[in-house]
Amino acid sequence: MTDAVIISLLLPAVPIIGAMLGFLVWSQPEKLKIWSVVVTVLSLLSVIGMSGRLTGATVGPLLLYLLPLTAGASLLGAPAHQQHRLSWVLTLLFLGLGLGILTSQQIVGQIAVMVLLGLITFFLYWYHNPLWPRSWWGICVYGLGSLSSGLATIASPPVSAMASLLVCAVLLPLLPLHQGYVSALTRLPGSLPAFIVLLLPAIGLHSLITVIPTVPDVATSTITIVALIGALYGSIKALAQSRVRLLLGYGSLSFFSIFWWFAAVSRTITPQALVFLAALAVVTSGLLMSWQVVRTRYGDDVDPQAIIGLVKKMPQFTVLFSLLALAAMGLPPFGVFTGFIGMLLTTALTSFVALLVMMIAWLAASWYILDMVQRLLFGRERSDLRYEDLRRSELASLLVILLIVIALGIAPSSLFGITQPPSNAEAVKEAVSWNR
Amino acid sequence: MESLDSSMNIETRRMELRGVIRLAGEVIAQYWPMRTFVHHNPLHSLEYLPFEEAVRRGNQFMGGNGYLPSHMYRAYLKSGRIQPRHLDGALSSLVQNKRVVCGSRPITHGEVLRTCLTEGLCTPVIEPLDSQLHDSSQGLIDHLATRLNSVMTFPDVQERVRAIAEGDEAALCRWLTLSHWCDDTLGTEIVQQINDQMIKWCEAYLDEAHATWTMPGREKGLYGAWKALAVHEWSSCGIVDSGKKISQLPDHPEDALLESMDALGIPAELRQDYLSLQLTALPGWAGFIKWRAEERDYPWQQAYPAGLVKFLAIRVWYARELVQQACKDYLDIDGRYEAVVAYMREYPDEYYLRRQRAAGRLPALYAEEVDRLSHRKGQSWNNILTRYRAEVIPRLQAAVRRGAARRLLALARSLNIEAPVLIETAPADLKQVVDWMEAFPELDHGPVWLKALEAGYQEQLLGQLRARTENAAPSETARPYSQSVYCIDVRSEPFRRHLESVGHHETYGFAGFFAAFIRYRALGKAHDTEQFPVIMRAKNEVWEIPRSYGDQTVSLHAARAKWVHAGHTLLHDLKENVVTPYVMVESLGWFYGLPIFGKTLVPVLYQRLTAWLRRLFVPSLATTLTIDKLALRETAEMLETEQHAVIRRALHEQLGLRSSRITSALVEGLRQRALTVETGQETQIAAGEIERAGLTPETLNALVETLRRQYDLTARSASRHKERLTRTGFTLEEQVLTVDTALRMMGLTKNFARLVLFCAHGSTSDNNPFESALDCGACGGNEGNPNARVLAMMANSQKVREQLAKVGIDIPSDTHFLAGQMDTTTDVVRLFDLEDAPPTHRADIARLQEDLKEASAFTSQERCMRFPDIQQGVTETDAVTHVRKRSTDWSQVRPEWGLSNNTSFLIARRELTKGLDLEGRVFLHSYDYREDPSNRLLEVILTGPQVVAQWINMEHYFSAVDNDVYGSGSKIYHNVVGRLGIMSGPWSDLRLGLARQTVMNGDVPYHEPMRLLTIVAAPRERIDKLIARHHDVLKHFYHNEWVHLVALEPEEGILYRYRPTGEWVRIDAVTGS
Repeated sequence: MTDAVIISLLLPAVPIIGAMLGFLVWSQPEKLKIWSVVVTVLSLLSVIGMSGRLTGATVGPLLLYLLPLTAGASLLGAPAHQQHRLSWVLTLLFLGLGLGILTSQQIVGQIAVMVLLGLITFFLYWYHNPLWPRSWWGICVYGLGSLSSGLATIASPPVSAMASLLVCAVLLPLLPLHQGYVSALTRLPGSLPAFIVLLLPAIGLHSLITVIPTVPDVATSTITIVALIGALYGSIKALAQSRVRLLLGYGSLSFFSIFWWFAAVSRTITPQALVFLAALAVVTSGLLMSWQVVRTRYGDDVDPQAIIGLVKKMPQFTVLFSLLALAAMGLPPFGVFTGFIGMLLTTALTSFVALLVMMIAWLAASWYILDMVQRLLFGRERSDLRYEDLRRSELASLLVILLIVIALGIAPSSLFGITQPPSNAEAVKEAVSWNR
Repeated sequence: MESLDSSMNIETRRMELRGVIRLAGEVIAQYWPMRTFVHHNPLHSLEYLPFEEAVRRGNQFMGGNGYLPSHMYRAYLKSGRIQPRHLDGALSSLVQNKRVVCGSRPITHGEVLRTCLTEGLCTPVIEPLDSQLHDSSQGLIDHLATRLNSVMTFPDVQERVRAIAEGDEAALCRWLTLSHWCDDTLGTEIVQQINDQMIKWCEAYLDEAHATWTMPGREKGLYGAWKALAVHEWSSCGIVDSGKKISQLPDHPEDALLESMDALGIPAELRQDYLSLQLTALPGWAGFIKWRAEERDYPWQQAYPAGLVKFLAIRVWYARELVQQACKDYLDIDGRYEAVVAYMREYPDEYYLRRQRAAGRLPALYAEEVDRLSHRKGQSWNNILTRYRAEVIPRLQAAVRRGAARRLLALARSLNIEAPVLIETAPADLKQVVDWMEAFPELDHGPVWLKALEAGYQEQLLGQLRARTENAAPSETARPYSQSVYCIDVRSEPFRRHLESVGHHETYGFAGFFAAFIRYRALGKAHDTEQFPVIMRAKNEVWEIPRSYGDQTVSLHAARAKWVHAGHTLLHDLKENVVTPYVMVESLGWFYGLPIFGKTLVPVLYQRLTAWLRRLFVPSLATTLTIDKLALRETAEMLETEQHAVIRRALHEQLGLRSSRITSALVEGLRQRALTVETGQETQIAAGEIERAGLTPETLNALVETLRRQYDLTARSASRHKERLTRTGFTLEEQVLTVDTALRMMGLTKNFARLVLFCAHGSTSDNNPFESALDCGACGGNEGNPNARVLAMMANSQKVREQLAKVGIDIPSDTHFLAGQMDTTTDVVRLFDLEDAPPTHRADIARLQEDLKEASAFTSQERCMRFPDIQQGVTETDAVTHVRKRSTDWSQVRPEWGLSNNTSFLIARRELTKGLDLEGRVFLHSYDYREDPSNRLLEVILTGPQVVAQWINMEHYFSAVDNDVYGSGSKIYHNVVGRLGIMSGPWSDLRLGLARQTVMNGDVPYHEPMRLLTIVAAPRERIDKLIARHHDVLKHFYHNEWVHLVALEPEEGILYRYRPTGEWVRIDAVTGS
């Protein structure tokens, strides 16, 4: 076996074995949580140790670092409560699958994607609630994604290429396949949504790098239009939401659509685009963790409208939450801003409509995100709410996320180089030449 | 005949409505314009109710808390400010003789209540459905909750749903408007929408020359102007066809209001409460309109009338339209009272879920589902409730049990009961303890805490006074260096104490208007100020005039002042014009940098420099006041001079004539014609004069007409003006009465010193819209120096002294009365009219000035210790510099503490308090019952100054306990609106009360909110007589516990407390109760 193969087995093995071993302390939530965090740290160390010898990771080492970091932060911020145990084990399992997909060869990766999407489909079904009939859409979309991934494995081009593109659109949400993403963010338990908000787009990006150069012009034109519509749709839907996770889901959909537009127009993924996507996913993850802080105190089912006036009694939370919100709105010096500006500067922007849509999405984001911040933090303190500021683990988790977003914003984007697989792309190009 | 009946019927309905509105308006307090800020009780209209009940009403109508949050009282307890024994005393009336046994430890009802107070166990806390936050006691809590499972029962959801619907039905239009109901049920924001509209219209209409572009058509009245403009709005609040609907409204606001209330179906018996609720939605604007409507002489009210009827006609129209729209959209019912009631009865499940949703009490998924169904009706609602009952209610009940367990555990810890013992306690006993706690909700804690807080302070103050009566020093008979009279204001107390300590000076306390009820016009000002308490009326006017008109300085002063005024006007116009600011910023913008840097970096120096420049350019004038009545001849001359000036202005403005072409004869001729034309006997003007001015007879006739119409130069207005001029000054009898009353009330009738100073007070601050709140409340929120000058001038009059001697007040010929004013921000005392002091008194004045200066420095030093930004002690010199800097610093949100921390009103001779450090918290009114055999003076003090003190006290009380509702919030966000008040940010209700920085020191109150304690050194039977006579004022104060009354029996030296029942109870020397 070559080094690359060994590494692509070792990296996912650490968290997957960790997840298995976690069942040994299943009855002790606190120990299980600590163990899970330790596993993510080990996973990060293994990534750091082996990143120099990786050849299969087309997206470069950035996402490989970010996955265990975000997984660790999401676990750290979760309350040590028994009802979160499954989400911790699933986080480790998904981390393993994610690392495997990003580092393994194409076929193995596609099988892993199929397994991952199948698992998500299963858990969406498991947590389905009749009061939330829309999760059926999510189940269907991820089911479709899982099947498409399988199809991409067994079919030959151009069917496999189109199936791969479909999988990308499921993972890296694109209208009209966004319902899976929104359902996953809304329905999956505990800390899991805060992790998969990075995991799924990262895997989607990984596939897209290979697929996008091969996509026919007509398809890219369609993606361009769909992406712009998606950006508008996501903004409008986010503006209309009162629930935080839905708001973040639709808000990030809007920004992911901008990414899709950029990928379709430029037919490549630049380091700036990678920064944009990574920062967007991490900051959304941070906001979900912030919301988890509120849910920990007031219950999983809490209605956001009932929570106001956190600013005085929860100053640490207020500062970190506000900074993350500013980052999500695309203000400097955070990664979303840097990535977006970088994308614009590296693209020949020819469409006024596209620019207008992006401006609208941007302005809308500053509206709904600020509105969310304002509603939660300000207003008259409620005497019947028990306020408690961040505990150490929560503080640490949000700090980690904030530092990542700042680092993405200020570090030179050349650090985040992307390895384009030319040979593979050429092969696929040749295969779809019938379309020209 | 029918139409006559109909019009009479309409008129009757209008009158009835006006009566209802008058009663409805009782719940809101009047709001005075901020330039004459008047401290007042925001619940003044509810003083006929007991304090606790009024506070409850204030909470129901305005949402204001009447007591500090419990955690602040607990902080007082922790710091020792509240003593445990005082808390026990305050709690005693609530304690029952019951107990339960926990292991071997009995727990009494009293212990439980006390722990509820001290540990905050009754604070209502929403227990989350799934508690995830790690708690080391979670195991114990779960165990206890399980034990409570068998004894804690919960009403069935259906019962609860029905009870809520019935409760809300009873509250509808009593405590809940239909707009509120829609907001609470449908999640609309109708109240906010209406408030936004009303703020917009009130702000524009009530503007007092603040706005550059004023609202057109204001002369039509508030309702008329709104109707004329709102009809052009594209879509007012999204009301369909709003323009058309507004244009179809009746012309009379009463009719419009009646129509709207009929459309809303408000039952007749609920209309008063309903309208009260509408008024309390914006108590600031409504309060100002209420004040204005009652001030018929107020120039702005005369020009642009506003009233609560008009206000409500507009407000209720919006309510009617928006409620109708929301009810139709969401519920498909009419937006009428009976339709809403029927809906609650027919669909209680749906109603319950909607309300829970709007209140944010539904789990998120249920909230989504309710949102999805929000425009539907039918079975789906029942399905949700069924699911809710099955899924959520058990979790809710478990959460309630966990909450109870958590409280039991906290109680046990506080009472040193071991957790295992608690767990072993019988569930029924645990339930009993939980019931006790629930029967004593935090809402009931406020009165107990307040009584405990008051008891602590009263014990200390009364102890000081008792010690003084027991060891009374013999009164001094030697003639003092000086006697000075200060306002009763609490800020005078430290100054008086320090002045007495630096020399043999006697001081007295008296309401700062010094019994001179005057309307005052300062030199060069166009408007009068009302220099008396707002509860009084003035009969006399006083003008400030130059001491000598012959002096060249007068004309120079007038000319320069005119230039300054013109400069200001020009700059203002340039700033406010549409175009000029663009140019002005470029050309003159840098000029504004000087004041910005000066005021920011070197405020004191900048202030000195500008004052010097002002004096240099506009020389100051020696002035005096028009104390004596004008003779008829003088009145006529004054009138004639004024009319001549008007005609000259008209000639210039209307015909462009230069001064050189305007002769006195022409002016006089025009005056005669303008005044006599009404009688038909036209005065002829010499042809030469007309010719010289280049006028034709037609022009002349037109000008005369203009003078009459536009310049109000008619015989009738001249007569009116003359009548007003005759009100200027006082007759000799009035002067004697004023001085006699003042001296007797302050107890200064013998042993006069060579110098007697009447010392008023004012303040200095920059960039402070609340400036007048720091001035003299007894002078209507103005500086008091005119009153002091008036009284001093009267008392110096030989004729007055002769008359006074006849009534027993023999003022020695070497006694001279001085007027002065203390600046409460800098503690500097300025003396007035020193020109009138005899040369023989120069040395006395010099010594007095020295001592005043020394006392000022001591006072500044004492006050500096109370500023939170001064951590360590300061020297006198530093203190003087510091207070001076505060007064000129435009970024200073707290130039001084003002009247904050006031607590008591002491009516007694100074001997009782001389030398006592009362910490600037006590209003001191001099009074010697021996000088008042008829009780008249005490009556005046109790019904005048005491009322003012109570208003001040209550203003501070409510601003401290709930600054958001009864106060005006942080100064940082204040914006002046219409030159009449302030708003928070760009858009809010007119803010009532005092700013946060005035009463709070950070998050803790600087002003300890307590009700006024009045201590009267007079026989009890005299006080009883007065209470019986003035039942409306004094009975409300004492029987409804707005004011605590204590009498000091002068002969016995014993203190007695007046009970709300009308009895006197001797105050125990040891416990103070």
